[in-house]
Amino acid sequence: MSDQVGINQLKRRDFLRAGLVFGAGASGLAAGYAAVPDAFARAVYAAKQEGITNDNVLVMIQLAGGNDGLRTLVPLADPKLHDLRPQLAGSMVAKALPLNDQYGLNHNLPGVKSLWDGGKVAIVQGVGYPNPTFSHFESIRIWETGDPTRRQVDGWLGRTLAQAYDSNGHPLTGCACGATDVPGALRDLQATMTVIQDQKTFGFTGGSEVEAAVGALYKATPGIYGALFDTAIATATETVAALRTSSANYQPMADYSDKVQLVYSSKNQLAAALQLAAELIVTGTGVKLLHVTLGGFDTHYTELNRHDDLMAYLDTAVSAFYKDLAAHGKADKVLIATWSEFGRRPAENASGGTDHGAAAPLLLIGDPVKGGLYGAEPSLTDLDTTGNLKYSVDFRSVYQEILGGHLGADAKEILGDAYDHVPFLKAPVTVA
Amino acid sequence: MAVARGITRRQALAAAVATGVGVGAVRLLGGTLSNLQRTPAPGASNGADWVSPLGAEPARIMQLLRRATLGYTPDQLDAALKDGFNRTVDRLLETPPAEPPALDAATTPGGRFNPSILQEWWAAHMLATPTPFAERMTLFWHGHFTSDYRKVGDNTFVYWQNLTWRRMAMTNLRSMLMQVTVDPAMLRYLDLASSLASSPNENYSRELMELFTMGPGNYTEEDVRQGALALSGWQLPRPDSFGSLPNLKRSLPVYLVQKTGVFQPRRSYSGDVTFLGKTGPLDTQGLIDRILAQDATAPFIATKVAQHFITGSPDAGFISRIAGAFRKSNYDVKTLMRAVLTSEEFASASAYRSLVKSPVELMVHAARALQDAGAARLIAGSGSGMGQILFDPPDVGGWPNNEAWISSNTVIERVNFATSVLAQKGASLPSSSDGVQHQLDGVLGPATAQLLNQATDERSRWFVILASPEFQLK
Repeated sequence: MSDQVGINQLKRRDFLRAGLVFGAGASGLAAGYAAVPDAFARAVYAAKQEGITNDNVLVMIQLAGGNDGLRTLVPLADPKLHDLRPQLAGSMVAKALPLNDQYGLNHNLPGVKSLWDGGKVAIVQGVGYPNPTFSHFESIRIWETGDPTRRQVDGWLGRTLAQAYDSNGHPLTGCACGATDVPGALRDLQATMTVIQDQKTFGFTGGSEVEAAVGALYKATPGIYGALFDTAIATATETVAALRTSSANYQPMADYSDKVQLVYSSKNQLAAALQLAAELIVTGTGVKLLHVTLGGFDTHYTELNRHDDLMAYLDTAVSAFYKDLAAHGKADKVLIATWSEFGRRPAENASGGTDHGAAAPLLLIGDPVKGGLYGAEPSLTDLDTTGNLKYSVDFRSVYQEILGGHLGADAKEILGDAYDHVPFLKAPVTVA
Repeated sequence: MAVARGITRRQALAAAVATGVGVGAVRLLGGTLSNLQRTPAPGASNGADWVSPLGAEPARIMQLLRRATLGYTPDQLDAALKDGFNRTVDRLLETPPAEPPALDAATTPGGRFNPSILQEWWAAHMLATPTPFAERMTLFWHGHFTSDYRKVGDNTFVYWQNLTWRRMAMTNLRSMLMQVTVDPAMLRYLDLASSLASSPNENYSRELMELFTMGPGNYTEEDVRQGALALSGWQLPRPDSFGSLPNLKRSLPVYLVQKTGVFQPRRSYSGDVTFLGKTGPLDTQGLIDRILAQDATAPFIATKVAQHFITGSPDAGFISRIAGAFRKSNYDVKTLMRAVLTSEEFASASAYRSLVKSPVELMVHAARALQDAGAARLIAGSGSGMGQILFDPPDVGGWPNNEAWISSNTVIERVNFATSVLAQKGASLPSSSDGVQHQLDGVLGPATAQLLNQATDERSRWFVILASPEFQLK
C-alpha cells in the first residue's frame, strides 16, 4: 500500500523520521511505535500544517463479538426468516420499528428510529468482504486494518492519523475512550494517540510532583519498548493536562447512563465513553478520531434477551451522545459509525442463538449523513456455501466514504485502492 | 543466614559486573547508591539497548524467577541462588502445585457470590504460595483456555476452573484438553452445554481449534461444523441440592463438591463425521486425538509459550525445536517448559527485558519485592485500568501481551499502583539498594539511575524502582 503514497505525504513522513529523537532508535520503531512528542517536534509541526485542517470528527463504535444484522435491521416481509429462525424470528418481526414495508429497526432502537425520522441515519446493508473468515480475531483484524489479505498491520484510522493529521505533539487527535489499550483500528507506527478508560481516575496519584518525576523517569528509555513507554508517559501527561481544561469547560446536556440491566454485565461502559467523547469534542481539544467499544455481541446462546438488551444500551447511549452534541452545537461536525467483525448466521442454532456469520448492515448516524438505506438487500434464500449472507458492499467502500467524504483525507492513499461509491453523506468534503 | 545471603548477593553482583561493558546503559556496581554519580548525561544513551547481564548465572536465575514465577522475596531469591539455575528449574518443574485454601463461598446457591472474593482469593494465593511456578502456569492457562465470570454466570464454576487449571497446569495436553472440554465454566463460556446434535452450537468447536490448539488456517469451516456435531452431548453436572437467596424467589443449584460436565448420549451424535481429513464415528476423546495428530498443534502451543516466557517474536527454528520435543514427549507440558527455560534463547542477550510484565505479574512482583504479604485486596482491585482483571479477560482470545500492555492509560495505572502499594506498606521497607540489585539486576537506564540518585529517602527510591521502565519488564 505504500506505493500509493503521494509526494506530499512522502516528504512529510521522511521528515517525520528524520526530525524526531527516538528513545530507542530503529528497534523502538520496530516494536511498533512512534516518537516521543518533544518540544522540538511540536514546534516543527505547528509550523507545518499540511494535513487535514477541517473540524470534522469521526466516532467509531465497535460492536464486538459479531452483531446480528438481521436483528438490527429486521426483514419484515420475508417468510424465509421464520424458517431459518423458528425461535427468534417471531418477536423480532412483530416488535420491529418499521422503516418501510420491507425493513424495521430492532424494537429497542427507538432513539435511532427518531434520528432516522429526522433523516440522520444511513444504513448500509450487506457490508462485508470477499472470502469471509469466521474467526473473531482474524475478522476484527481485517476490519481494523482494512485489508482482507491480512498483510497490513497498521489500523486504517492509525494510518489516517499518521498520514493525514499532525498527531505528533497532539496526542488527543486520536482517542480511544473507555479502553485500556490502543484499539487495532488506531494503531500505527507513526501515529500517537491516547487511551482513556475512565476520566475520573485518569491522572497520577500525587499530582504534578509525581507527574514530573515520572516524566523524568521515562526519558530515552533503552530497549525495544523504550520509545513506546516514553511516548505513553508523554501522551499520558499531555492528556491529563487536556482533560483538566476540558472537564472545567464541559457541562453534559443529555442524560448518560450505564445503569443498564444486561443478561450478563458488559465490560464496556459505553455511555461514559461517549460522554467523554462528547466532552473532548465540544471543548475544542482538537480530537478528530474517536473509538469506543460495546462488547457482548457473540450471541451463540439465548440471543433473544442478550441482543435486545445490547440494542437498548446502544440506543440510549447513542441518543444521549447525539443530543449532547446537538445541544453544544457540534452535531454538524460529527459522524458516528458502527462496525462489527461480522454478522451472524441466518439460521439459528439449538441454543436459541446464532453462530458466526458474514455480511451485516452498518449504521451511520449524525447530521453529516444523508438518511436512507444503501446497498443491496441481502437475500435469505441465496446464501453462500456456509449458509451465510452474501455481501453486496465492501466495507472499504464505507471507509472510503468516511475518509474522503467526511474527514477529507486521501482515501486511496490510506486504503491502497479505490472502491465503489456509497453516497451516504449529505455534503462530501471531496469527491471520493 | 544473614551471612549467606550477603555472600550470594555479592556473588550475584560480581557476576553481573563481569559480563560485558554497558554502552549507554548504566550499572550499579556497588551496594550503595552513591556510585550512581557516574551516571552519564541524560540522552547519551539514545538508541541504546539494555546490556544483558545474562552471561552470569545469578542474573539468569533472577530472570528465571521473574518469568517463571511471580517475583520473589529476598529469601526466595537466596534459596534459588544457592541451588543454582539447573536445580532451580528442576525444583520449579517437579514440585507439585500447592492448593489454595478452600473457598467457603463456593457453596453459595447459584455461585452467586461477588467475583471480588474469587479475585482476592487467587491474589492472596499468588502471594502466599510456596509453588509460585504453578501459579504462573495457572495464570498462563487462564489466559489460554480462557473463560470469564460474566458469561459463565456461576462463580462456583469459575472457582472450580481455577482449581482444575492449577492441578493440570504441568501435565499432559491430551488429558488437559479433555478436562478443558468438560469443565463446567467452559461448557457455559463457549456454549457446549447447550449444543445438541440436532442443531450443534459451533462456538466451542471453533475456539478449540482456533485458539486452544491449532490456530487459524489449519482447519476448514466444515471441520468446525463437523467438530461441533461430534462434540455435542455434554451438559452441566447435576447440583447436589438447591437453595435460595434473600430477595430471590426461585431456588438455585448448590454444589458441595467439585464436578465435571456429564455426557448425555441422547443429546449427542453417533453417526459418521468427516473431521480433519478422516471420516467415521468420533467421540470427544477421538476428536482431541485427531487434533493432537495435526502438525499445527505442537508449534501453536510452543509459540504461545515462547512468546510468554522468552520473546515476543521467537525464531522459527527455535519453535520447531521445542515443538518437536513437545510432540515427541506426547505433549508433556513439563518437557516443553524445560526445553523453553533451559534453552540458549532464554538466556540470550536479545531475550533480556524483551517481555513486558502483565499487570498481575507487575503487582505481585511488587508486593513480593516489598515483602508485603497483605496486598491481595489491593492487587485484586487494581488491575482494571492496567487492562487485566482476573477471571475477566477481554474476550475469548485471552489477554494480549507485551506492547499491548502499554498505553497512556495503563502507564498511569502502573505508576499509581507503585504509589498505592508503597502507601499501604507503610514505613518498614526493605533496602532499596538491594531492590535495585535484585529486582532491576543493577542494570539501569540513565534516567532511572539519575532519579535514584536524586531520591532522598527509601520510599522515594522504592517508588523509582517500582515505577521504572526496568521494573515493567521481565
